[in-house]
Amino acid sequence: MSVRALPRAAARVLLLPAALIALWWWAAAASDSFYLTDPGTIAATFAQVWVSERFAADVLPSVGLLLTGYALAAALGIGMGVPLGLSPRLRAFAEPVLEFLRAVPPPVLVPLLILLVGLDASMRAAVIVSGCVWPVLLNTVEGVRAVDPVLADTCRVYGVRGRRRLTVLVLRSASPQIAAGLRQALSIAIILMVISEMFASSSGLGFAIVQFQRGFAIPEMWSGIVLLGLLGVVLSVVFARAERRALAWHRGLRAASRGE
Amino acid sequence: MLDVNGLRKTYRGQGREVEAVRDLTFGLGEGELACLVGPSGCGKTTLLKCVSGLMRPTAGTVALDGRPVDGPPPDMAVVFQEYGRSLFPWLTVRGNVELPLKEKRLPKARRRELVEESLEAVGLAHAASLHPWELSGGMQQRVAIARAIAYEPRVLLMDEPFAAVDAQTRADLEDLIRGLWKRFSMTVLFVTHDIDEAVYLGERVIVLSSSPTVVQDDVRVDLPEERDQLTTRSAPRFAELRALVYREIQNAKNGDGGAGRTGAAGGPAGTDGPDREPTATGGAR
Repeated sequence: MSVRALPRAAARVLLLPAALIALWWWAAAASDSFYLTDPGTIAATFAQVWVSERFAADVLPSVGLLLTGYALAAALGIGMGVPLGLSPRLRAFAEPVLEFLRAVPPPVLVPLLILLVGLDASMRAAVIVSGCVWPVLLNTVEGVRAVDPVLADTCRVYGVRGRRRLTVLVLRSASPQIAAGLRQALSIAIILMVISEMFASSSGLGFAIVQFQRGFAIPEMWSGIVLLGLLGVVLSVVFARAERRALAWHRGLRAASRGE
Repeated sequence: MLDVNGLRKTYRGQGREVEAVRDLTFGLGEGELACLVGPSGCGKTTLLKCVSGLMRPTAGTVALDGRPVDGPPPDMAVVFQEYGRSLFPWLTVRGNVELPLKEKRLPKARRRELVEESLEAVGLAHAASLHPWELSGGMQQRVAIARAIAYEPRVLLMDEPFAAVDAQTRADLEDLIRGLWKRFSMTVLFVTHDIDEAVYLGERVIVLSSSPTVVQDDVRVDLPEERDQLTTRSAPRFAELRALVYREIQNAKNGDGGAGRTGAAGGPAGTDGPDREPTATGGAR
């Protein structure tokens, strides 16, 4: 990209957000609702509320919880998905139960888990795991099932088996699918983090937003919502970068097969 | 050294049985380069899968050096037709060639030596750090061949390896195979549907009948050891052998099992039929 094209590209990216903020500003000015705060006030409040000890008290625990639950779900989903993908018998055995468990909406587990696990962070992590594990698990199963039979034969011919077969053949060829599952799980993780904190917590982003709302601290409530949005954007950007790196071969392969 | 005896394979599906291979018996001598040719759909791939131990035959045996094959033997390599799907796209060319050697637990220095030697032998020394999908189809198949050679097999099986590459690349690869066969002294079984290719490459051409498959004929190729695309292919003897094999395949398609062994052959007497290994069935049953 040339230097001259840079402002134009920036304009293209920023045009819609700027228009939406302007629209919001106008709506807030035209309305006399107490609950609709204008963007200027939200921005000022944002700096005031979150660039403070609240960052350590609410934001960091939330992010820690999110990442813990997400990592556990990823490990569990991949760990269970691989044997299920490899064995048709195991799949037939476990599938009905998995379908049922998947159909249960994770937020309804919160009251149950409060009773079983208690009101602590492990319960909130359990809620996140219970929702995030499914896309990872199902995508891993599909990815493992779709291992190319010619590659599998190649491994057999050259005596590639056991752990090396798992890492070189099975996990690598399922990795694009696994990544798709992980991407879905990431947005679910954010939702469940907030819900679990709204229900049963005395700290964290979800708790703070509900507390602001109950205390009619409306600009503060808005700033919390904006912070959640920003958190989601940052996480998805980080994820996309990691995926780009890990799956460079996959993009190359697809580009090559399109070119032929 | 490789003995296929009474091999039979039937597939069971939806209540009916399909007999892909009926009764195949042939043997390959140490260091032989034999081509297996037959009409399309005659079960060549099935046969090769049984020989390589990837598939269990319904009846009959495959033996390597007298030991029965019931899984891929450690001294056998296979080059598949689908080069694009038999290379690991997430590994580099070097990684692909080296992977089986790691499984063999060879020391690092030896692995590097084998990888370099085999890539050099197929003319891809410069491409070691590229990924397979960065290469053309013919080059990808060279990588698969290099991987097979680096494995130091005693038997190399090739399943229509050049069916999906263009004609010029194909000619190059044929010469490459003959060169490698001489240089590394392996026993090679090369499956193809191309009669010219079979005659050009092989020291011997085993002709299969159409499905259900038996050995239709076994032709010794008495062309000179040194072959090249121009002179060999325009030699009168090449044309004769080619016509002979062609006629056999026509007979096979018409269900004229084994008749070519005595009468229909165009070549002079004594050229058809093997002279190294006793090959029993002509398919007349």
